[in-house]
Amino acid sequence: MLLAMLAGPVHARVAQARIAKVTTAVATLEQVRVRLDWPADADRGTLEIWAKRVSAPDMGIAYRDLHWRCPLQRTPRNGWRCEGELRSGRAAPVRLAVDFDAAGTRAELGRGDARIALDRSAATPDLTTLDLTQVPVAWAQVLLSRAWPDARFTSGTFDAQLSVVSAAKRPLRIAGPLTLRDVGIETADASIAGEHLGGRFAIDYRTTRALAMVSVDGDLRGGEFLAGNMYVALPVSPIGLRIDAMQRGKTGWELPRIEWRDGNVLQASGSAAFGPDAGLRRLDIDVNSVDMAPLRQRYLSGWLGLFGLGEIDLHGGMDLRLQVRDGVLAVVDATLHDVDIRDPQQRFVFAGLQGDVRYSAGAPVDSELRWRSGKLYGLGFDAARLPFASGDGLLRFREDARIPLMGGSLTFRDLVIRPPQGEAGADIRFGLVLDELDVGLLSKALGLPAFQGRLSGTIPNARYANERVDFDGGLSMQLFDGRVAVSSLVLERPFGTAPSLSADILLDDLDLLGLTGVLGFGSISGRLDGRIEGLRLVDWTPVAFNARFITDAKPGVKQRISQRAVQNISSVGDASFVTSLQGQLIGLFDDFGYRRIGIACRLANEVCAMSGLQDSDGSQAGNSFTIVQGAGIPRLDVVGFNRLVDWPTLVERLAAVASGEVKPVVE
Amino acid sequence: MKQIFGIPVVGALLLSACVTINVYFPAAEAKEAAREFVEKVIDEADKVEPKQGGNGGMAMLEKRFDFDPWMLLGIGSAQAQGAPDITIKTPAIQAIQARMESRFNGTLRGGFDAGALGFTSDGLISVRDAAKLELKDRVAMNAAVADDNRDRKAVYREVAVANGHPEWESQIREVFAKQWIASARSGWWYQSGGGWKQK
Repeated sequence: MLLAMLAGPVHARVAQARIAKVTTAVATLEQVRVRLDWPADADRGTLEIWAKRVSAPDMGIAYRDLHWRCPLQRTPRNGWRCEGELRSGRAAPVRLAVDFDAAGTRAELGRGDARIALDRSAATPDLTTLDLTQVPVAWAQVLLSRAWPDARFTSGTFDAQLSVVSAAKRPLRIAGPLTLRDVGIETADASIAGEHLGGRFAIDYRTTRALAMVSVDGDLRGGEFLAGNMYVALPVSPIGLRIDAMQRGKTGWELPRIEWRDGNVLQASGSAAFGPDAGLRRLDIDVNSVDMAPLRQRYLSGWLGLFGLGEIDLHGGMDLRLQVRDGVLAVVDATLHDVDIRDPQQRFVFAGLQGDVRYSAGAPVDSELRWRSGKLYGLGFDAARLPFASGDGLLRFREDARIPLMGGSLTFRDLVIRPPQGEAGADIRFGLVLDELDVGLLSKALGLPAFQGRLSGTIPNARYANERVDFDGGLSMQLFDGRVAVSSLVLERPFGTAPSLSADILLDDLDLLGLTGVLGFGSISGRLDGRIEGLRLVDWTPVAFNARFITDAKPGVKQRISQRAVQNISSVGDASFVTSLQGQLIGLFDDFGYRRIGIACRLANEVCAMSGLQDSDGSQAGNSFTIVQGAGIPRLDVVGFNRLVDWPTLVERLAAVASGEVKPVVE
Repeated sequence: MKQIFGIPVVGALLLSACVTINVYFPAAEAKEAAREFVEKVIDEADKVEPKQGGNGGMAMLEKRFDFDPWMLLGIGSAQAQGAPDITIKTPAIQAIQARMESRFNGTLRGGFDAGALGFTSDGLISVRDAAKLELKDRVAMNAAVADDNRDRKAVYREVAVANGHPEWESQIREVFAKQWIASARSGWWYQSGGGWKQK
């Protein structure tokens, strides 16, 4: 049509035409107006073209209010050339040069460094080559919007050499190399975003009305992206990426082939399918990592950060197979090869993890994970095997798992893990049997005084949910020839903020001589009973309890208290003593007989409300209370005066006593 | 006569059998404690001095002056108050508070200033508009928000437990939720009636 107009300008000064619609195989122009002004004796004319709308939906082109004005010249071989500014709406103008003759058509569009050159040879009218250099990705926004309506480019340029084959009744095909530089992309809700992405790919795009197919194959070179909670910081080394995708009509995209090749760190291949709502419907992926060390920084930092594990150390190798069916995780098969997991905050360490963990939402599968050694809050444990079975969305132990710990063992019974589902967090139920743990080793590991004894116990039902572990049943310790029973155990936020432990503790018939010897408290002979109710440790420090200790007179058991113990009790209990002797004479005696010793402390709000023997006949007026009731001669009572004692000071005192820093002072 | 007296006696017995002791949630004290906590986290410079005095403060140490030499080894007595109070000064809570304060100044404040974060109506914080953040900052911000929410939940729980009423946790949380919003600086976002509003 343009040619028809151009045929006539030699005779006409001004030619005008209005065309409602021009349709070609690739593009459609609407409300086109063409005007050519050619002075009679001039060697060139002025061509102006207006178009209300230009669209090439397959190429993602859609412009409004186009205006091109250029000087039209003749070229050899019966050709024409016109180069001038093309404006679209209020956008900055671009330079458009069109050149055609008997051999073919060439067009070049440019702005700044960006350049798009089109070449079509008359011999092969179905083939158009496009050479794009330094083109802002924003120019391809319309193309992106078509494939992914929520996404927009935020920065970047690309080069491409594309061949476009468009013949009637054959699929449109666009193929060729594509180079991306510093590309930024973001979805409207910012859930998926990429920045500084670079890469070189071969792309192949074919489309008909019913089917669109894209294949992208090449290397990603640097950049970062975030998809939900998955943050990927691409290394400088190239990462191989291949994606084949297809879309039938208006259904969701299918990705029959996905490949990700990041050397030793991560190799993944698989396929996926999305629903019409762009939600993941089906995924099959095999992942292999020979060297897991860089995984955290490159791929896992986003997820781990959410669990406060952003600094975790991973070493070793892993194979992982994932299956998603109908949007739900159906299968996880993880095989670990000598994996070490280390928490830099020293909360846990697992060394030499080997074997597999298999989860199935359907058919039953068995697996077994082993480790060489581990550590949990400073408590080391030895090699163990965890025999897993899974089916119907649960992961459980198919038999008891015994873990050697502190000279004894810890056995998990009937463990059942329900993985997090939707809003509900993980739910774990298990029974625990502690068998003959060496309290000496335990005390050493926890930095406690050198208690000696054995710890055993059965917790028939424990449940972890909402960051809280409740233990039914109780533990029992044989300590100092007596018994310590722990019940109502609750552990809150075991690996989270300010881990907190609650318990009730009962002490029965402890040998005081042994106990005071270990505590370095001087020496007291006799037997001690006691209870600590409502004990609550936050960050492993006591914040509340109601404790009462009282001696238990037994026939044939001597009840003596050493001078040093008297002084220590006095200092800790903020007490003084009342004696039948002059103060100076106390130093002459090594120990004293006693009838009863009792001390109680109710801790709340950093204040310990102290009391002593309940029916203290030795009590004086007001605030005082008897801690030690003497017997025999010389008779000595220890009486406390302050019922309300600042807890941190008391702890300092106790620490000083235990380390022997309190020197006996005798006036 | 027996019957005439019998009914009130039985009635009185029934009444006394039904007596339950209600411990009312000290809303005003909780609000004051929440304000003190929140203001300290949000801005140390704007910190409001904690209420001083007989029934508002913490246990105060009081030195005893006595000639008894054992007293020199002894320790001061503490004075507690009878009026209901909400304590937020346990070491655990203060450790969390200090961490939240440094996290707020280090990371979260920028998120609130940029409009990326918002206070939720249940006393937590949330990334309401990630697009307001540079991509490189988003991962750190997501982690900081998750960390902070863990700390927040622990604070609400520990404040309730430290005050001897674990069952107050949800009320404490409500009070704090209102306080975070009340203390929010102008321009920051908060959740209200299911939507986000800018202060």
